[in-house]
Amino acid sequence: MDQDEQDRALPIANVSRIMKQILPPSAKISKEGKQVMQECVTEFISFVTGEASDKCHKENRKTVNGDDICWALSSLGFDNYAEAIGRYLHKYRQAEREKINHDKKYENPHINRAPPPPLLLSRVTRDKVENPPPSPPNQSG
Amino acid sequence: MVDNVGGSSSNAENSGIREQDRLLPIANVGRIMKQILPPNAKISKESKETMQECVSEFISFVTSEASEKCRKERRKTVNGDDICWALGSLGFDDYAEPLRRYLQRYRELEVDRGNSPPKRE
Repeated sequence: MDQDEQDRALPIANVSRIMKQILPPSAKISKEGKQVMQECVTEFISFVTGEASDKCHKENRKTVNGDDICWALSSLGFDNYAEAIGRYLHKYRQAEREKINHDKKYENPHINRAPPPPLLLSRVTRDKVENPPPSPPNQSG
Repeated sequence: MVDNVGGSSSNAENSGIREQDRLLPIANVGRIMKQILPPNAKISKESKETMQECVSEFISFVTSEASEKCRKERRKTVNGDDICWALGSLGFDDYAEPLRRYLQRYRELEVDRGNSPPKRE
């Protein structure tokens, strides 16, 4: 039963951490707030993946790829996500190519790929609204 | 360990957030994706990472909307109703309704049995 639940959901600690990052420092999240988000976001993954899967099925392909996810987002009306994710994918593939070239040149399988920069869609959206949340304190270089 | 290899100044804002803290675990994301796919389907690594990025952003987006409501009402704690309201406010009505039902059952179970969340469907 616990294993079933674990299989079906995302870890609530990770969900909670992501929620906290967008909230002002003094804000709190109730346990039920975290669980509703956990449930919601699990459903969102299934929803988008199902749409991508239909496209693959129609095109007789077996492997769902990043472009299929982008297409599914757009198809479902998440155009802002599709655009941002498209840019992410572009950078992702560049990083992968650089990794391959670097590995070929130095034959060093232990080099870590630098992850592409994160999406900042929420922050961009939030910046267009009045009173953006205060940014967390950072060490300024 | 903060990995800044290849980071540009535009990433300064997130240089303190490790990827493992910024995203949901890729294994869990991949598992949920598999559940909706036909048995012979495969998922590319880039697809899982794309979904990881997308779904983490979705959490931030909805939470931000809920937070704004709490701020206006001078409340400090974001609760389940705020998340449901935020989904409706952002146009995710199909999500808001089943999650309200989930919340109702969740609260009933809290009273009856303590802590375990209700089973879905």
